[in-house]
Amino acid sequence: MSSSLVSPLGRIAVLPSAVADQIAAGEVVERPASVVKELVENALDAGATSVEVDVEDGGKRLIRVSDDGTGMQRDDAILALARHATSKIRVASDLVGVASFGFRGEALPAISSVSMLRIDTAPADGEGTRIRSAAGELLGAEPAARRRGTTVEVSQLFYNAPARQRFLRGARSEWRAIADTLTTIALVRRDVRIVARQDGKAMFTLPPARDLRDRIAALWGGPYAERFLAVDDVSGPTHTCGLVERPADVGLASRRVHIAVNGRAIRDTGLVRAAEAAYRSTIPAGVRPALFLEIVMPANGIDVNVHPAKTEVRFHDRWVLERAVEAAVRRALGTFDSGAMFGRTAWPAAAAPVYGSPPVDVEAMRPAFDADGPLFVDEEPMETGAAPDSREPAAVDEPVPPLLQLRRTWMMFEAGDGVVLIDQHSAHERILYEQFMGALARGDAPSQRLLFPLTLHLTPEEEEAFESNSDLLQKLGFEAEAFGGHSILVHAVPAPHPRFDAERCLRETLASLTGDRFAAVHARHERLAATVACKAAVKAGDALSAGEMRALFVALRDTTLPAHDVHGRSTIVQLGWDELERRFGRR
Amino acid sequence: MRFTISREKLQEGLTAVAASIPTKTTLPVLSNILVEATEKGIRLSGTDLDIAVSTEVAADVEQVGAITIPAKKLSEIARELPPSPVKIASSGEQRITLDCGRSHFKINGLPKDEFPSFPSVKFADSWRVKSGELQKLISHTSFAVSTEESRPILNGVLWELRPEFMRMVATNGHRLAKMEVPVSSSGAPQTSDLIVPPKALEQIRRLFPADEELEIARGENHLGFRSPFTAVYTRLIEGPYPNYDQVIPKDNDRVAICDKIALASALKRMSVIASDQTHRIRLSFNSAILRFSVQTPDLGEATDELPVKYTGDPLDIGFNAAYLLEILRYIPTDEVRLTFKAPERAATLEPEGWSEPGKYLCLVMPLRLVD
Repeated sequence: MSSSLVSPLGRIAVLPSAVADQIAAGEVVERPASVVKELVENALDAGATSVEVDVEDGGKRLIRVSDDGTGMQRDDAILALARHATSKIRVASDLVGVASFGFRGEALPAISSVSMLRIDTAPADGEGTRIRSAAGELLGAEPAARRRGTTVEVSQLFYNAPARQRFLRGARSEWRAIADTLTTIALVRRDVRIVARQDGKAMFTLPPARDLRDRIAALWGGPYAERFLAVDDVSGPTHTCGLVERPADVGLASRRVHIAVNGRAIRDTGLVRAAEAAYRSTIPAGVRPALFLEIVMPANGIDVNVHPAKTEVRFHDRWVLERAVEAAVRRALGTFDSGAMFGRTAWPAAAAPVYGSPPVDVEAMRPAFDADGPLFVDEEPMETGAAPDSREPAAVDEPVPPLLQLRRTWMMFEAGDGVVLIDQHSAHERILYEQFMGALARGDAPSQRLLFPLTLHLTPEEEEAFESNSDLLQKLGFEAEAFGGHSILVHAVPAPHPRFDAERCLRETLASLTGDRFAAVHARHERLAATVACKAAVKAGDALSAGEMRALFVALRDTTLPAHDVHGRSTIVQLGWDELERRFGRR
Repeated sequence: MRFTISREKLQEGLTAVAASIPTKTTLPVLSNILVEATEKGIRLSGTDLDIAVSTEVAADVEQVGAITIPAKKLSEIARELPPSPVKIASSGEQRITLDCGRSHFKINGLPKDEFPSFPSVKFADSWRVKSGELQKLISHTSFAVSTEESRPILNGVLWELRPEFMRMVATNGHRLAKMEVPVSSSGAPQTSDLIVPPKALEQIRRLFPADEELEIARGENHLGFRSPFTAVYTRLIEGPYPNYDQVIPKDNDRVAICDKIALASALKRMSVIASDQTHRIRLSFNSAILRFSVQTPDLGEATDELPVKYTGDPLDIGFNAAYLLEILRYIPTDEVRLTFKAPERAATLEPEGWSEPGKYLCLVMPLRLVD
């Protein structure tokens, strides 16, 4: 190690630039995939509309990236190999809001320091230059004929760094990393034609795509692309768009997550978590949706100069951004498109649209009003237990299959391809949840005034929960006022179903809302609607009459997400005939 | 035990008792009927531990004794028997033989000791009530009890006995029905408040002929009703009944008088469009017109009109149509008188021009309307 600057003690030396480049290469160039990433990004920064990538032996022997971009003059091309040489920024202030992929001027020198490099470049057809280097040393620069654009050929990666070479994986594994890298880029830069070949074999050819769905279809096939819902939402200066998986499809195919901010693919667990939070109540705990999200936000709200590979960025106001992403995804999930395919297969094929059971039992009331019948109906069986209730409608011609209650917990019926079980509590919870969400949005929940106001004695925490939610509780139909001494007086309550126990529901709701801090309006709505729905729904163990089961079935069918309860558990489980036949040894 | 009974008498007795026998029970003997042969005849009894019914039917008793027999099987057999005298005899403690014409049955039962004893109610201190009056109260009020289990008090009907009248009140907290009839009290003058399960009242209404005098007596926390042949015992619901008088509005100054059938028809029409859950409809009173309207998101809307006699300021008020319809069903007159104070205050419904002695009042709490 020859050194020009050595301290008096001879211990500390400033490293020659070749060594520094090798060290930098450790950050930027880890494996062939990082070379591909740097080179393709350079090509894109050079305005390429078509990028071709050739790889041999997983990139260990050769990586060649050709583009049709602007190309370089001879001198620029030589300078490009010097560290911190970049065409993309000039002064430090350009770093704020930098829009190009690269800008640090590290990539080419770092790559050249650990490989044999050849650059063919031409700013215009026929005016090309060929530059060769090995281990960072310029070997030559001669004119060469080339069409406009640049080809960078990296061979024998890490030939001079055996330690690194040993850490390379097999060709297949390295290729997979390269493919991932190209995929990430392809998803962001859909306008660019991207071709990749491995050992001369075309691995993928992506024509310029109209939109994200087309590109996904080109990458993984049309059916995969169809499982996504479009997200498109603007919140303040933040525009979130992209595709997210339909809740019903989540967990059924490989999960892919790609997030791009201002056209730059990044990794950010916070944003992923925010998007996943939007799925609350629609998918079971533990499964995670595939996400392709693109966020456009003001450049000064983001710092990309955090990581050499630029896969991580820093947001100035992360909280606002995450809320915007969550809201955008949630909006997409709330669309009709989101519900269209849910669990429909679990319903009887013949199920036609049903408009609910008749609201009152008109038939049963008729005898009292027969013109010549007695008005004083003593002969009639007294209907002691019957609260006014549509849940025992007279036989109505609805395509509702016969329902059987099992263990006072599930309703069972026969569908086209098997036996279907519905969890009565989950089902009712889902129905009420959607009702309550509607009521919160419209503020018109029917509120039944009480003859005898309820007095509830609350703990201080419950009282706080009441105070911070009283506006929403009122929208749901609870009219209550503080009564002093940790008590509230309830004058009116919602009346979602005849078995509804308003006092218990309110008490349990307040108990479980203690300590909640949901600032976002929608999150508060959801939390409250889910809590009240859970407390108000019939429980496992409640015996249901045939009419009640029928009404539950019909109402569930009309919900947007019948197959999932508000905790993400399954509401509907189907046991197919094939499975039964297998169990009985019939096949 | 040995006796002979006509098929009709046996069926009559079984029908009276069968309704008190629970269909599902954890205590097997409760699904049995207690058959006791005495010198006077035979007594059949059944209970679900809340309510007990016991009735005596004429029979030719040769040998006294008692046993319990599965009620459902005995009823089914009695229904299918040929029209001949039925001979029943015990063979041992747990089995009977039943002969009728050429039909012959042996049925296993349980010893009578396993049957729960009836509540001790001393009819020595009883008072008397005309069965028909009681039935009138029952049928006009007990429909309004609560079915929801959190407030057991409201699951019962309040029966207030006073020297000059008796009154029944039932409510589920949303609507209330109250009726009182004058009584010519006989027996001990009673002032008593009882909360009776509606199931027991249903038995009273069903079992006793309207013109019968009933003896009624109170035990520790049971109530007994007795006619010469039949007795009904019921558990009472304990606790203070809410102060209903306080919630009955005294100053409702908006009054409407409507034709009951026309009102009910309009309500039924509106109900078709009203929400399944709440049956919410809007009533708008303005001089001589009652306008109905209903809007249900995703379904549609409807309006209707009815000429009424209305005095007071215009009023918009929301109701559960099912509550109104149910009350109208029990209003004994052609016209109904409705009174209101304000959109969030209780409304009352009363028969208009009722000639019978007594007072009947129903009360409904409104539903919130959002404009």
